[in-house]
Amino acid sequence: MIVDFAPEDVDLDRAAILRSQGIPEEAEFTENFELIYEGAIELFQKLAEPAGIIVGITISEFKEVFRGEGLNEPENPVEDIYRKSSYLALFAVTLGPVLSSKVTGLFDNGDYASGYMLDSVSSYAADKLTDLAAQHLQSELAVKEPAASSWRVLSYSPGYCGWNISGQKKLFEVLHPEEIGITLNESCLMIPVKSLSGVLIAGAGEIHEFVNSYPFCDTCRTKSCIERMRDLK
Amino acid sequence: MELLDQISFNLQNGFDKIVASLTKDAVEKQIPPKEILSNGLIAGMNIVGEKFKNHDIFLPDVLLAARAMNGAMEVLKPLLIKEGIPIRGKVVIGSVKDDLHDIGKNLVAILLKGAGFEVIDLGNDVPAEKFISVAREENAHVIGMSALLTTTMPVMKKVVDLAKDEGLFGKIRIVIGGAPVSKEYALEIGADAYSYDGANAVETVESFFPANSQ
Repeated sequence: MIVDFAPEDVDLDRAAILRSQGIPEEAEFTENFELIYEGAIELFQKLAEPAGIIVGITISEFKEVFRGEGLNEPENPVEDIYRKSSYLALFAVTLGPVLSSKVTGLFDNGDYASGYMLDSVSSYAADKLTDLAAQHLQSELAVKEPAASSWRVLSYSPGYCGWNISGQKKLFEVLHPEEIGITLNESCLMIPVKSLSGVLIAGAGEIHEFVNSYPFCDTCRTKSCIERMRDLK
Repeated sequence: MELLDQISFNLQNGFDKIVASLTKDAVEKQIPPKEILSNGLIAGMNIVGEKFKNHDIFLPDVLLAARAMNGAMEVLKPLLIKEGIPIRGKVVIGSVKDDLHDIGKNLVAILLKGAGFEVIDLGNDVPAEKFISVAREENAHVIGMSALLTTTMPVMKKVVDLAKDEGLFGKIRIVIGGAPVSKEYALEIGADAYSYDGANAVETVESFFPANSQ
């Protein structure tokens, strides 16, 4: 199913956006900084074209998608989690091409600060759009299956948690995100750049819990699993 | 406030048009371009760098200052060239082949320009051969490469290998960066250095030029 979102659906949490830039909560800001931040939020609301595609898939079908090019880490949490799931769906979300072009245009015109801030806001928003897709799926599932309202739906993406980025190829073959304007280049980069894809795994909260001591966890920069698992409690 | 102090002050506050105008005034008043650069612009950028390190200001503020610096350099650069004053160093920079992410690379380029380096930005999706050919043609001192995808990181090794094959290794320093890149990967492929962010990239490149550090 294709899901259209509105820019205002995306909750732009200022503290979280600034935290993603490495700025501490207690920071004080210059007037210039405030103007740049407000300008970026206005541009986002004006230019973002958020959309998503969600397609249900069985565990056995997903096994093939997940295998991808056969380059996944031999041990990874996703393998364990999806096998315990109650429902699986492939997904892709995008903020559209106009926003990405605007970021590039701002840099090209020498407005680096605004370009950087809009890029930062957009990256945060793309993550939030994935959360919206997960919420959408959960609502849809709850209509058919009352137990689904207590499930936790979390996203997992190629390039993270031992799922090799080359897995995008198989995922795109099955999902067809081109229907919402997302294409994949040779190096598995999605275009527009502010797009995310992967699998939404629905099930009891505890299936998403794992010990983040895999070899690749050392080099992971996001460590977002910690916060996600904390939110399960 | 003296003219060079005014340039420094306004640069710190990111007032690009005022900085460009004051720089023109300084040139008209026969202040040597090197002095305008060192005691006005770079002095201001040094303060910006300190404030950034101390979390008194943040990256957008630094980028505003860098834009002001770049605008002023447009005024000064022809004069510096005319007087034969050497540039601080020349850096060829780009995101590697098949990688269309360029925000991080752009930030590094802007910050390097702001620190007084000449930067030749090759953009994104840059083949290994182009890094080498441009660096050779331009007599660059440093090649900077960025990758945001694990699938494109091998291009960095290809550049290092090409530099070795063409006898440029050791003459041109190679710095790599980007989310999946690490210090260990830099060591593994034989790059000279790894930088974890824009400010660190400037420090790294500056460390290659100890004699002319400002």
